[in-house]
Amino acid sequence: MIKNYLKIAWRNIRKQKFYSFINILGLTIGMTCCFLIFMYVRFELSYDSFHKNKDRIYRVVTDVKTPTELIEADITSAPMGPNIKADFPEVVSSVRINLQNALVTIGSNKYDEDRVAMADSTLFDIFSFQLIRGTAKNALAEPFTAVLTESKAKKYFGSADPMGKTFQMDGGKVTIKVTGLMKDVPENSHLPFDMVISMATAERMGQNLTESWGNFGMLTYLLLAPGADAAKLEKKLPAFMESHIGSTMKRNNMYYTLHLERLKDVYMTSKRPAAVKGSITNIYIFSIVAVFILLIAVINFVNLATARATERAREVGVRKSVGAYESQLTFQFLCETLLLSLFAFVLSVALSQLLLPPFNLLAGKEIAYNIFLTGTIGWFLFIAIAVGLLAGIYPALVLSSYKPVVVLKGAFSSSNKGLFLRRGLVVFQFVITIVLIAGVMIVYYQLLYLQSRDLGFKKDQQLVVEFGGVDNMKEKWFDIRQQVLNVQGVSGATFSSAIPGRFQNSAYSNIEMKNGEMQASNINLYFIDYDFIKQYEIKVLAGRAFSPQMATDSTQAMLVNEAVVSSLGYSKPEEIIGKKFDQWGRKGTIIGVIKNFNYRSLKEAVSPLTLRIEPEAFVPMTITVSPKDAKKVIAGVEAIYNRYVPEGRFNYFFVDDDFDRQYRGDFRFGQLVLTFAILAIFLATLGLLGLISYIVIQRTKEIGIRKVLGASVNNILLLLSTDFIKLIAIALLVATPLAWYLMYQWLKDFAYRIDVPWWVFLAAGCVAVVIALATVSIQTMKAAMTNPVKSLRTE
Amino acid sequence: MIQLKHISKHYPVGFGKNEILRDIDLRIFEGEFVSIMGPSGSGKSTLLHILGLLEEPSQGEYLFDGEPVHKMNEKKRTQLHRGAIGFVFQAYHLIDELTVYENIETPLLYKNMPAAERKSRVADILDRFNIVAKKDLFPNQLSGGQQQLVGIARALVGEPKVILADEPTGNLHSDQAKEIMELFKQLNEKDKITIVQVTHSELNATYGHRIIQIRDGKIA
Repeated sequence: MIKNYLKIAWRNIRKQKFYSFINILGLTIGMTCCFLIFMYVRFELSYDSFHKNKDRIYRVVTDVKTPTELIEADITSAPMGPNIKADFPEVVSSVRINLQNALVTIGSNKYDEDRVAMADSTLFDIFSFQLIRGTAKNALAEPFTAVLTESKAKKYFGSADPMGKTFQMDGGKVTIKVTGLMKDVPENSHLPFDMVISMATAERMGQNLTESWGNFGMLTYLLLAPGADAAKLEKKLPAFMESHIGSTMKRNNMYYTLHLERLKDVYMTSKRPAAVKGSITNIYIFSIVAVFILLIAVINFVNLATARATERAREVGVRKSVGAYESQLTFQFLCETLLLSLFAFVLSVALSQLLLPPFNLLAGKEIAYNIFLTGTIGWFLFIAIAVGLLAGIYPALVLSSYKPVVVLKGAFSSSNKGLFLRRGLVVFQFVITIVLIAGVMIVYYQLLYLQSRDLGFKKDQQLVVEFGGVDNMKEKWFDIRQQVLNVQGVSGATFSSAIPGRFQNSAYSNIEMKNGEMQASNINLYFIDYDFIKQYEIKVLAGRAFSPQMATDSTQAMLVNEAVVSSLGYSKPEEIIGKKFDQWGRKGTIIGVIKNFNYRSLKEAVSPLTLRIEPEAFVPMTITVSPKDAKKVIAGVEAIYNRYVPEGRFNYFFVDDDFDRQYRGDFRFGQLVLTFAILAIFLATLGLLGLISYIVIQRTKEIGIRKVLGASVNNILLLLSTDFIKLIAIALLVATPLAWYLMYQWLKDFAYRIDVPWWVFLAAGCVAVVIALATVSIQTMKAAMTNPVKSLRTE
Repeated sequence: MIQLKHISKHYPVGFGKNEILRDIDLRIFEGEFVSIMGPSGSGKSTLLHILGLLEEPSQGEYLFDGEPVHKMNEKKRTQLHRGAIGFVFQAYHLIDELTVYENIETPLLYKNMPAAERKSRVADILDRFNIVAKKDLFPNQLSGGQQQLVGIARALVGEPKVILADEPTGNLHSDQAKEIMELFKQLNEKDKITIVQVTHSELNATYGHRIIQIRDGKIA
């Protein structure tokens, strides 16, 4: 029986090459999209699931509460972990991890490593990172020892045995011995590192890890005993903190509350900052997009199948008259759809495999390189069958319900059965398409706005060189700057502790309010030299910028931005001039107010910023240089750099590129939406093409008669397209509020954003209309231009 | 074998109804060859469809081999349909996508017959109708007479008790028509199959034992 069904299905597919092509192509594209997104979502959800103890591992995080704010940190101070382990028997083990950058030197080779972990020797007990050489117990026990990953070991020592080999860190000051070799950390680990240095090393290098309760910087993880209740443990932590540092917290008026996060929540749902972070919102967005793209393809199939149902009507009648049950016919038609979707499945798996490399690139990480090794094929087959059933069930029910008498009498002509449904589905497709088109336009409009908006400082032609590792910067910065200024092509050079778009420190500061009281708060700060304000072209609104002529400026003067002025309750910038400040041991007066400039991405509003002169903290130097001189200047500055930091590694970048890097994620998002929008448009067009070509065939006779009666080609075009234009108009009405709402959600993340322009929706609607008209025209033209005598003769 | 009591059939048209058959009483005995005649629109095709369980009467009783068909559920009716009734259409109604062999095989598939038995049955019928050479052709590769031959073969392969033929020769020229009618006669006489045919042709009607005239939905 099934053989008979398959035979018929196969012959139908071959006979109706055009429609089969449209159906299979549509389903293939839809499924490929779906498969790729499925792998992406699965990968994202798989983070940290490779740890055997994953259900018993918890991350300790800290809420730091000061009089003015609450900081939700992902880190703890060094003593917290070991003390929790000592005080609570249900804690089996604890590990502290500190992720950092390091400069590794081996002979004359220098390597910048940005994925270095410093960790306790318990790391390998708690987590399932695989050691190949060395033992979990001993590998990280001693100071100045390290465990390398396979790829790092290969990079440093080639094929030689790395065990016992040494390398230098911190510009040759420290020698580290390799005591272990581990497998590379899996891509789906929220802890990214290429080597682990023993935590004992930090202690030996002068860090106090047992006493410094207020010095934050350690990720801390606990392994609980089987069956231990984390919530109960969490409730006991406030008392624990009180007993250890209660008086200190009170004295500093800074309170720490510890919380426990399940390991499986750390990557995806934790709201705290992290080096490697997932986005549950993106998971939702992509899952929805995958479903919608697949739905468009399914709708294409349903529309075409129901429109063409009459072609199969006679077969249904005959089969019923020789004794077929209705259910048997339903099953037969479902089999045909399943066959189609299995075809599409095979093609989709192949296509997904081909598209994996560019998809990995787009996602920014290696999701998979061989689709057959991901263990998802079973799921894909399941999806394919589900798609086949979903697409097939309605047409199958419609077909198998035909009454044999009606069909076989020959009085049966194309009915309007399912016309309403078809129209509804076409509208649905266009709603998705228009939302995606409008979405793409709004995303790109916003990104354009981000790049072109005046940030309040000059970001072009600003070269930045990092002078990290200069000993005694306080004495040398002036000379260094002078030498850089002497390089031909340099028109300005300024030192600071931070530059726009990069991390800046913050400090617990006291500033005088209007009523004379000192207000304490945690405020961002820049340490700058005398030229910073001038060179970055930042406007001074009141008072003056720093001046080398004023002797007290170097220690007792502060600049603030507008945000500080308003946050302290002053109404005019002038009012804060001359007020007192107390910050990190320096006391003095505020001498000037600068206009707000966006020193962070435009996603954030400008927050309060204080600026002081503190040469010890200088690291990046900003050098103004015209593009044509850039190469020469970089070479010149490198020579100066090498004189001052001989064992360092010369790094430079341009402020404008670097600042825009903050929007890389948003550009990636834009690209993905664009890709999906194009696919959605393509699929919807494909469906329309099939539907229209069928309608045209059905109406060939009508078109012929109309032409004989004097209709022009244009009349006929209008006749056939009016229907679709109406549907698009309805789709536009539905899509506009939907797209507006969705894009508003996305735009909300930006402190500086465009107003959604009304014409975006009109433009999206126009695109849809143009596509529909083009599709209709091509198909209709053929019919409209044929000699009516031909089409009428066939009757 | 077939007994109709007070059978009526009407369709709703607007607020009223269109009566096709009115109060038909009819008995057809096993082994009979009956011809139903009447002008276009008199209701003869509808009567045949009711006999063949393709349509349900609006009123009245239908007994097949003494069993009340009008009280059967869909499943039982389909079983009766499969086992006892074969259909032959004016327009042949072969499935275009299937070969001659497969067309004939289809009813057996619905009877869930084992493959080996199916094969021998279809082979027998092909042999008997002399169309073995054509078994792999598709319907559009055959002449009208040949297609109707296949249609009859398909009706016969399930070994029905009765064959219902709706103007079986309506689309054929006279030589082919004669051949088909001879075949029906032979089936009726040799194989003892009950045959009910609807026809316009006086000549074809003479092949049967009895003629039932229908006019305006009534037996005249």
